[in-house]
Formats: sequence, C-alpha cells, structure tokens
Amino acid sequence: MFVSKKFIPRRTFLRGAGITLALPFLESMVPALTPLRLSAAAPVRRFVGIWHPHGAAPGYWSPTKEGRDFEFSFITKPLEPFRNRTVLISGLDMPEAFATDEEPGGDHARGAVLLSGARPRRNAVSPYLGVTVDQLIAQKYGQDTILSSLQLGVEDSGNYGNCNWGYSCAYTNSISWVSPTQPLPTQVNPRVVFERLFGDGSSTEERRNGRKQNASILDSVTKELAGFKNNLGEGDKARLDTYVDNVRELERRIKIAMDSSLQEPTGDVPFGLPESKHVHFRLMYDLMALAFEGDITRAATFMLGRDLSGSSFPESGFTGGWHGSSHHGDKPDNVMNYSKINRYHVQNLAYFVDKLSKIPDGDGTVLDHILIYKGSNMGNSHRHAHEKVPVVLVGGIDGTFKGNRHLVFPDNTQRTSNMLVSLLHLYGIDQWLDDKGKAMTGKLGSSTGRLEPLEMV
Amino acid sequence: MPSGRSATRWLILTFAILSITSLVRIQGQSGANTAAAPRPPAVAHRPSAPQPAAARVVRTTIAAPDAAALAKQRALIDKYCVTCHNARLKTANFSLEGADLGTIGDNAETWEKVVRKLRAGVMPPPDIPRPALGDYDALRDFLEAELDRHAAGHRNPGAVVLHRLNRIEYANAIRDLLDLEVDVTALLPPDDAAHGFDNIAGSLTISPTLLESYTSAAARVSRMAVGYWKTPTEATYLASSDASQNMHLDGLPLGTRGGIKSRHDFPADGEYRFEIQNFGIGSFIPGQKLEILVDGERAHLFDYKGVGLSVGMTSDGDGTLTAVVPVKAGSHVVAATFVQDNFRPSLDMIRQYDRKSLENNSIPQIEYYPAIGFLRISGPFNPQRPEDSRSRRKIFSCKPSPTLAEETCARQIMSTLARRAYRRPVTASDVSTLMTFYADGRKTGGTFEDGIELGLRRLLASPQFLVRVEREPPNAAPGQPFRITDLELASRLSFFLWSSIPDDQLISLGAQGRLSNPVVLEQQVKRMLADRKSAAMVNNFAQQLLYLRNLKATSPDGVYYPSWDDELRQAYQKEAELFFESIMREDRSVLDLLTADYTFVNERLARQYGIPNIYGSHFRRVTLPPELDYRRGLLGKGAFLSVTWTQNFRTSPVKRGVWVLENILGTPPPEPPPNVPPLEDTKEEGKILTLREQMTLHRRAPTCAGCHKIMDPIGFALDNLDADGKYRAKQGGEGGVPIDAKVDLFDGQHVDGPSGLRNALLRYSPQFTRMFVEKMLTYATGRGMEYTDMPTIRAITSAAARDQNRFSAIVMAVVKSDQFQMRVKGDDGSRNTTN
Repeated sequence: MFVSKKFIPRRTFLRGAGITLALPFLESMVPALTPLRLSAAAPVRRFVGIWHPHGAAPGYWSPTKEGRDFEFSFITKPLEPFRNRTVLISGLDMPEAFATDEEPGGDHARGAVLLSGARPRRNAVSPYLGVTVDQLIAQKYGQDTILSSLQLGVEDSGNYGNCNWGYSCAYTNSISWVSPTQPLPTQVNPRVVFERLFGDGSSTEERRNGRKQNASILDSVTKELAGFKNNLGEGDKARLDTYVDNVRELERRIKIAMDSSLQEPTGDVPFGLPESKHVHFRLMYDLMALAFEGDITRAATFMLGRDLSGSSFPESGFTGGWHGSSHHGDKPDNVMNYSKINRYHVQNLAYFVDKLSKIPDGDGTVLDHILIYKGSNMGNSHRHAHEKVPVVLVGGIDGTFKGNRHLVFPDNTQRTSNMLVSLLHLYGIDQWLDDKGKAMTGKLGSSTGRLEPLEMV
Repeated sequence: MPSGRSATRWLILTFAILSITSLVRIQGQSGANTAAAPRPPAVAHRPSAPQPAAARVVRTTIAAPDAAALAKQRALIDKYCVTCHNARLKTANFSLEGADLGTIGDNAETWEKVVRKLRAGVMPPPDIPRPALGDYDALRDFLEAELDRHAAGHRNPGAVVLHRLNRIEYANAIRDLLDLEVDVTALLPPDDAAHGFDNIAGSLTISPTLLESYTSAAARVSRMAVGYWKTPTEATYLASSDASQNMHLDGLPLGTRGGIKSRHDFPADGEYRFEIQNFGIGSFIPGQKLEILVDGERAHLFDYKGVGLSVGMTSDGDGTLTAVVPVKAGSHVVAATFVQDNFRPSLDMIRQYDRKSLENNSIPQIEYYPAIGFLRISGPFNPQRPEDSRSRRKIFSCKPSPTLAEETCARQIMSTLARRAYRRPVTASDVSTLMTFYADGRKTGGTFEDGIELGLRRLLASPQFLVRVEREPPNAAPGQPFRITDLELASRLSFFLWSSIPDDQLISLGAQGRLSNPVVLEQQVKRMLADRKSAAMVNNFAQQLLYLRNLKATSPDGVYYPSWDDELRQAYQKEAELFFESIMREDRSVLDLLTADYTFVNERLARQYGIPNIYGSHFRRVTLPPELDYRRGLLGKGAFLSVTWTQNFRTSPVKRGVWVLENILGTPPPEPPPNVPPLEDTKEEGKILTLREQMTLHRRAPTCAGCHKIMDPIGFALDNLDADGKYRAKQGGEGGVPIDAKVDLFDGQHVDGPSGLRNALLRYSPQFTRMFVEKMLTYATGRGMEYTDMPTIRAITSAAARDQNRFSAIVMAVVKSDQFQMRVKGDDGSRNTTN
C-alpha cells in the first residue's frame, strides 16, 4: 500500500480502550484549498446520493404532520437545524426492488434501484440496469471538473457467492451506473479517495508531470485499441467501444486536471481503512465536502454499508448488528432499538450538511447549490417491504428546490422513480439517452410520470 | 507461421489414426449402450485434429427409447410428480402434467431442473410418497440419457465474453511478470462476483473509474519495480482486534510471543521509520523486550516499558515506539514481536479463555498481556536507487554496456516483458509503441532505468495486458462451434490453474500450435498442477467454493464464545486450505473432501478439537482417532462450522443445511421469505425449549415447512458441533439440555449425529462430484453454467469417475471439454434475459 506524499503524516489518531479518536485533521487542510471556479456568474449544481440498506424502523421515521408544520420524527430529528433545506417524503414505493415469487429474499441485492429506478436484470451475461441520476447530473454539470463523480462506501465488497437468484453482485455493490452496463466501483479506502481528489505525487511539478505522462499513455492506448477489435464477436466489439470511450473520457479529465490550479491541502492525510465505522463515516463525509469545496467534482454517491451488513454502531446507543436488528419482528422494543441505528445515520448526515452549510460557494454555500438524497430500497425491513421507503432530501439546487416540507402520498400511488424524474427536472434535465442511444424524455427506469408536488417552488 | 501450420497437419494425421484405435477401446469398455462416438458438427477455424477419444471427454450416443420404456417413466412421473406439479396447482411454478417424454431434448431447460432435484434426492419432498430407489434412479438415468442423446447432436460449447483481469489475477500477473508482490486492494477496486466466483467475465465490467485505477496502478507498479520512490510513503498494518497475541506466531522466530507480521515492499534503499503501538491493557511484564524483524533478522530492539494503555495515556504520548532502520529495496517480511524471556505462555496461570478482546471484561480472571496494535512503516528517507532487487533481476535481462547499446538492450527488455504480458509473440508495432515511451522516459528522466520504467508503465496500461480476448474465425457461421487458438488455450489454462498469465513455455507451445495436442496438453496440465503457482486453486478457487472468504467476517460473540479469537479464525482457514490442498497435491478423490480421516492442526486448533500432544504454532497432519470421527471431511471442519454462525450466540442449523444442500448436493434452496417471525417469539408456556424444539414449532408455518423440512434435519444432525466449532454434548453448557442429533433426512434415511449424516450423504456422492465439476467448470471458463452445459458436466463427471474421481482427473476432463477448448460464434454476450 504505497502512497506518495510530500510529508510524513503525523499521528492521525489515538487508539484508546476500544475507541478510535480521530483528530480533526481535515479542518487544517481547508485554508490551502483553492477552489477552481468560485464565480457567482457560473452557479454550480451538485448532487449526493446516499444509500443505506435495511429501510427504517416503522413508526419512527415519518414525521407526524404533513406540509410545512411537520414535526421531525425521532429518526429525522438531527436535521431540524436545516429545516428550511429539508424535504421528507412518506408513502413512496420502490416496486423495482421487489423480489418475485421465484426469488424470495433476493431483494437484498437491490441497492442499485435507488438512483436508477430500474429493475435489475436477472441471469444476464453482464449486469444490466440503467443510468443513475447522479451520473446524469454529472454529465450535465460535471464536464469540466477533474473528476466526473465520486463513489464512496465503507464496506469492501470482498464478495463471494451468487448474490442470489442469478443476479450479479454489481446490483448490490454499486449504486452508481454510468450506463445500463457500467456500474462504477465503490471506493472504501479514504486514502485512495484522497489521491483521486488531489493526485499522486509529492509536488505540483511531480504531479503535473505524472498527469502529462498519463495523458500521453492514454492517447497511445486509444490508438492501440483501434487495431485490437479485429475478428472479435459483435458483443466483444461493443465492449471494446465502451473501453475506448472510457479511455478518451479519462484522458480528457486528466487534461482538465493538468490545467487546474488546485492546491493540495496541507496537513495530515487519511492513511487507510479506519477501524471504527464512526470515524470512517465522518472521514468519507469530510472527503466529499473537500471535493465540493475544491470543485473537484459535482456528483457523489455514498453507500453507508452493504446489504445484509452486520455492522454495529455503538455511537447510536444500541449495539445490535444492522441486518439482524432490522428484522425486528415488528416488536416494539426491537423496533425502538432499530430506530436508534437509523437516527445515528441521520446524525452523520446532519454533520455533513452542517459542513456544507459553512463552505462558501459562489453567491452562497455549497448547501445552497446541492441536493442530497438519502434513501433505502426498503421500508419496513422486517417484511422486506419496498413500499413507503424513507426519503430524505436536503439542499437547495441553486434556488429551485424548496425545503421545509413533509410530503405524504397515499399508499400505493407513487414511486421513487417518479421522484427521480422530478429531481432531474429541477436540475434542468428532462431528456437523456436510453440504453439504445435513443433520446428519452421524462422516463427513467420504470417511472410512470413525475412527482409534481416536489417540483413546487 | 507456416512451419507451425504444417506441423499441425502432420499432427492431424497422426491423431486421426490414434483416435480410431482408442475409440474402439473406449467402446469396448463402456458396454452395449455405447455406439460410435458421434461425429462432431463441422468445426471451423483451425482445422484441428479430431482428437483421440481418451484425450477428450467422450459423449456417447444412446439409442432412442422404445414406447414401453417411455410409458413406464410416464407412469412414474404421473404418480409421483404430477400430484403437485400439475397444470392446476403449478407448485413452484412448475408443471409436468402432459409433458412429452418423447421430446425431452427440446425442453432441456425444464428437464435439467428435474434431474438436478432427483440427483440430490430432494424430490419428492419429505412426507410425500417416493418410488422405490431402483425406479427412482432409473427415471433419473432415463432423463439424463435422453438429455445427453439430444445434446450429442447439438454441440454447444457456449462462449465467454472478453475477460478483464480481476484484482487477484492482476496481482498474480504482476508477481509473475515482475517478481513483485503488491497490495492490490490499495490499487484496484473489488470485482463484482457472479455465479459464486469473482472471475466471471460478464460481471467484470469496465468503467472510467476502473480504467483510472488501472492507469494509476501502472504508474505505481512500474515505479516500485524499476524506479525508486524519491519521496516517503507510508503503510500501516493493523492487528485484528480479536487477536490474542499470547502465543508464538507461525513464521516468527521461536522464543517470541505474539506480534504482527506482514509482507511489505520497500521502494528504495534507504532509511525507514517503524512505529509500533501497544494495545495491551493488562499486566505489565518487567523487563519485557520488543523487537522489529526484517526477513526474520532483528533490525531493532526496544526496552518495553509498559507504555500506552498499560500505564494509561500520559502527556508523554500515546505509547508509540519509533525506530529508524536502514532497509534495502524489495519485498521483505516485516514483523514486530515480543521477546519471550521472562514470560511463559499462560499454561500455568489462571486463565480460562483464549480470547483477548475487550468485551470479555465481564469475565473475571482474564489477563491482558501487552499486544501490538499496529505497525506503521514510513519512508524511504535519504533514498538511493536500488542496485539490486528481485524485480530488477527479473526485468533487466540485459544491461547496457560498451558492446550493447542502450536501445538494443531496452528493445530486448520490452520485447520479453510484452510477450509475457500480452501472452503471445510480440509484433514490431507492440515493441515500437513501448520504445517510444522508453525513449521519452530516457530523455526526461535522464537514465536508462527511467526509460524502462516509463515503457513498463505504458505496457501495464495496455488493454492487451488488461483484457483477455478470444477471436472469431472470419469464416464461421453464426451458431457454429469452433476451437480457440492454441495461444488462447494457453491463457485459459494459466488463468484457470494459476489465476495468472501463462509462462514462457506455455506461450511457446501455444505459438507453435502444439498445446492442443492432447499429449502435450496433458503434460502441461500436470506440470502446471505441480507448479507452486497452482496454489491459486486453493487460495482462489477453493476459498470461494468453500466460502472461506466469509471467515474474516465470522465473529461469534465473545460472551458466548470466549475462546473465539483471530488465531482460531486463522487456524480454521489454514486447516481448510491445507485440507483442500492435500486432496489436490496428493491427487486424491474429491470424495475424500467428505470422508478423509485426517486433518491439519496446530496447538491452538488441537486444543479446540481436543487433540493431545500438539505443541507450537505450525500446522501438521494428524490422523483422526475413532472418537473424533465426526471431524472427518469438510463437515467436521471448524471453517464450515463457524462460517455458518448466526446471531452471535448460537449455531444455525438452517445455514448449515443450506450449505450442505448447495455445496454437497448442488441444489441450493430458495432464500427465506421476508416477514419471518423471530425465533425468540416461539415459546411454549413454562418450558425451556432447545433450539431444535423452538425451530420445530417455528416451522409449523406452512410457507416455511416445505424447505425447512429439507434443510433443518441436516443442520440438527450437526448440532453437537457448536458455532465456534467445538464439540458439545449439551446446549447451554454443563447444566444445559442434551443435544438431540437424531433426525430423519429428506430422503427418509435415519441419522444420528455428524458422522451419521456424513455417511448418509455418501449416497449422493456422484452428485457431489457433479456439483464440484459444475463449479470448477464455471471457474475455469469464467461464465455461469447453463442447462446447455449440463451434458458436458455429466460427461466430465463420468470421465472422472472412471479415474476414481481424482482431482487431476477432474481438472484434465475440464480442460479437455468442448466448453474449455471451444466457443460458439454469435453468442456475443449481448443476450440478456429479462424478468
């Protein structure tokens, strides 16, 4: 695990009696960051999609009242300081995530539905889903940033097994898909993320030189690929076309990075996988904030765990494992315990939101321009219900998104894929290409329309 | 290569003659049922030899059954299957009512499902009448024969899509190409598994992020191999939080206790800083010393003064010990460990449990000895370009000299590397591309090495290195099967048996068109299995097959299982690996995986299993005495018993049942439906229930009973073996309830305990071999098996059975199968089933 840095990281954490204390090292980096473009004339829009497995504790998630006068529920309470930027939605379904009668329990491997609104394809030679909203937003707003998007997680998939019923593990390993056939890998190592953001090398000179060499290597690779396609099957030719596109895109981004005046932050850098989940969550949120602050990217996704994760979160006040506790049997005590885990994850989100609200960005803060969607592919996880999934939206999308609302939809009337279409609309995106490269207006995955109340300003 | 082609022709002639003679021999052996081997459909591309029957998996043709035979099987199906699987009930979405037995081959997908259930003996379900065993087997054999008869006329080897190197293959390729061990988890993202393995071509997708990783990996790897790190880098190795460190660690010098050990790459000659932090919170041992080792040699000795948590945090620091040590470039095994001078392992101390970790605080009399929390290595400081390292020896096949121009030498180095990395003879254009980068690096960096470094970096970023492709003959018609080239075969072989690139010998044989020669092929497979690199069959294939990768996350609660710790986890893993490896290296029958009367233990594991007189941390083979009969085979191994843990505090008969159904009987049951009431809700007034009684009540729910009647009895028979792998007579300790391990299995066999279960499952040993073959063929080809592959899987299984199911016989039959050596044109992977 070798990583080049211009200094030796000092002590980054103290190891105590089973507790790992993170020093607030990322704060020290902030002064050195020089955002690429902070002009009010060019407002930027950003997006973060956060997925968590295992739904939310029934009775503890939905606020009691509808509309502007809602009261934060136990789980969502930590967001209260950001009331004006927050929309909570109750009553949405995620029908694409259901398991059929032939695949009971298979619905654990459906995280990828969150941002695609599409149903994973079974027994496909290669995984096949749909483009995700973070990628559509990145395509529109992130063409000129060093990175198109970031995909973060905290649990390495180091996977095994079938992921059940002939479904590829891609549907559970990745919630960000750049096309129906291209899941983007999730990065769990904070150190590696840091290097993606700031490059590899010990000085501006060295970093620049490294990028120049990469650009020339990729240019040469593109030429090599041209002759590589001879006598391949049609499917493999198409795969190589994707390869070529990816190489060109990478080359383009490297050239952007070469032209950028971004300074590497000074101070300690994260050095690998933290042992404490708590530290890990905070670090990943810090890195995302850093990426937005430096305008290194416009879109990110974050997986708070893997499906069936047994992680426990002592900081939540409850020590049970995640998946185990999510099968609470609808018993009051168990449900209450489970709600603590849910609330804990909202607390971390609030930490992130607070951070963003303090980072200047053009005429306002990063929070003003961003939208964060945190959700799950399950509602009542004990029943594996995909109805009434928890939806948290926080941000402003540059003035087009209105907070301070609790939207409630009657049972079995609305689906999250319609919400995704409306979100895209708020970003000014109404048309995209379907999997055959044909222009598609207003339909994403299995959406049936839009979620109009969300679009009200 | 005209010479190669004429050699091929010559071989064709020879084998044509050979094949006739051996066909006759095979027919003689296999009896009246066997007619002449069918002539395969025209094979395009390389006009390869019709191979001798002994060298490829023989498919036999069987005469079509007569009307009487059909009627008899029809009656059996109507009587025993159609009761549930009829048009009205459609149990499990499946009807056999009126299904035409005359056209079984046309409905192969359906009938293969039936055959699979019959092979595992799980249909009809428990409590439903079954035909007599003879009739049962005859029906199954009839169906299989019909399916195989049809398949013989419809050759379909399938096709695998282009295959990106996965993370493990990449690491192995770097090892074999550059003699460099890299921590690939820091270089590349994990791969998406499918069909039980992470080397499935279709699932190894390509994305910009991934290419970015490969590009930056190329820069790092080439620098580590050729260049040197001018700026300090850092790596931290953490000890597992439930590691005890009270005993000697295997691989460290005798007379040391605990510690941490890891392989680390030092990227330059220079000084490196080692930092160690202590985690122990218990007894401070006066005079304790702690040492740093590099390749087993002491590099530094600390006086250990009870720092860190053992004396409480002070303002002086957090207890980190620091030393700066000069180290030569290259990959070294580094370790930090305690010198065991005045501390003996606690054999004579009051200490009940092995586990160290903190949740045992509630348990009295537990001691904490100083333990190492992490080892951090940073450097180099004052780096020097290394004069010598393993990688440099491997890469620099020449050195520029007055008689050898730099460019000539560079060309030689680049050509040699490219041939290995691209897995084929190099072309002028390959070399000229790389030489452009060599020249650039030579110019900007200023040295010959800088040129080689940049050339290597370009090579490692090449799609020809990162992606395996197999080309189609231009003249082949869609749907036509054809042989892959010998060079493509060389890659298939090496990625199957080594999880890595082919070596020079394989590439040469492939380039000469000699590899598909059955005699050569057999020699090569034997050579490859004997090579150290075939360890990949254990640490890649077997690890995934046996779910050993899940052991990392297996952690029964310390309060219920105070003896569970990292040493035990690692011992279980090692035992299972050594066990599998013994089957492979000694070329035993794979059925020995179920029955072998030996295992491998070290002191820690022997204590867990109750085997006396085993001391020390190294593993050795022991024969299991009669009283440990239940430890025989996989079902008695801690890895299996603990990886099926659940809920932290008990065994999971269900998970064990599922494991057996999937990995022994090859019929995975469906996942549980959601909304299952928790087990703790299952109560009966005024009575303490055993787990088994609870579960019996629990599965009265009709939706659950169907599958649980099959799974649970398997698990109950194993319940004498606890979730941490320990034997127990009672549930709940000494005062607990006796375990009742008497069960009626799904097929009506009465069984008592683990040994009884193992013997009962032997009835299905042919199915075990078939399952093993299916998984191996999945892994070998890198694609999921479909119903069209089942005839080949059966043929491989029969071929292996004729050779006592020996491990090498299965490998050989897999390698010789159409599935491994052929493709079909037009199956381009764009096919996608929808729901």
